[in-house]
Amino acid sequence: MRVKLLYHTDFDALKRVLVQKSVPFDPEVLLDHVVYMFEIEDCSRVTTHQLVRHRAVSYDQESQRFSAATREGVVIPPNVASNEAACKAYDEALKMVYSTYEKIIAAGVPKEDARYILPSAIKTKLVMTLNARSLMHMVWQRTALQAQWEIRELATTLQSLARDATPELWTRIIER
Amino acid sequence: MRRCYSTKAIEDIESELEQKGPEYWKYLLTKAMQDKSLDVLEHFTLTLLVEGASEADVGVLVRSFPYLRATHLKDTDWLFSMNARTLVEIWKDSRGKDFASLVVSELDSRGVSPIFNELAFGERLHAG
Repeated sequence: MRVKLLYHTDFDALKRVLVQKSVPFDPEVLLDHVVYMFEIEDCSRVTTHQLVRHRAVSYDQESQRFSAATREGVVIPPNVASNEAACKAYDEALKMVYSTYEKIIAAGVPKEDARYILPSAIKTKLVMTLNARSLMHMVWQRTALQAQWEIRELATTLQSLARDATPELWTRIIER
Repeated sequence: MRRCYSTKAIEDIESELEQKGPEYWKYLLTKAMQDKSLDVLEHFTLTLLVEGASEADVGVLVRSFPYLRATHLKDTDWLFSMNARTLVEIWKDSRGKDFASLVVSELDSRGVSPIFNELAFGERLHAG
């Protein structure tokens, strides 16, 4: 998985506005106004199904209606990769699914209908924009031990990028 | 701007946008607006200091446009945040047209997003 922070609000500029207006600095005031835009690549559709349950967020995701799926573009969960029997079964199932997908397309069916057979393990790309309040909520929920490994990895990376970009906001909120 | 049918990595999209330049940006934005694929505009966000706005005026705006975020700073000063899609929706609505026009004037005066402003709010340019 690859995550890149494409844009974030200039936190120092917002702080200067508070100073200019003689408003005491309270990080809570800025949570709705600090925005982050991330590019997420090569995470599974299992994870993006979980991700889009966070509602106050804007998403633009690669569509399987138009882009062809490839066998190489799948996520293999560590519990499968480390289990020889499971790994073999997983690989065989993928071979069968992709061979069927290609046959369906070769028979003249559009990709948008052929995709019904594709697995949730398929890798995807998306752009996601959200404010600090929504991101903090997402991080709080998805870094919990009960969260699944892939979205936990994603949430941890998002938190790390956002903290690096706006350290004071995150530090002050966490300290509260 | 990531279109849903693009399989490219973000660096390739960024370098393509850079290489092809403003005419290509205009083409992409025009297509998005014509197709009403306004979701791509949600990634362009604006944060504004709004001065001299009464609580009643702000109340009308935030009740009418739920994606507009307003935080009261002091007296009649507010911090507003919205994305470009929300700004377009406010501009198209009589309850928010005056406010949106002020925002667009501010963007114009600062030279922010001139191509988008011309495409999304072109009517005001013709009217002017």
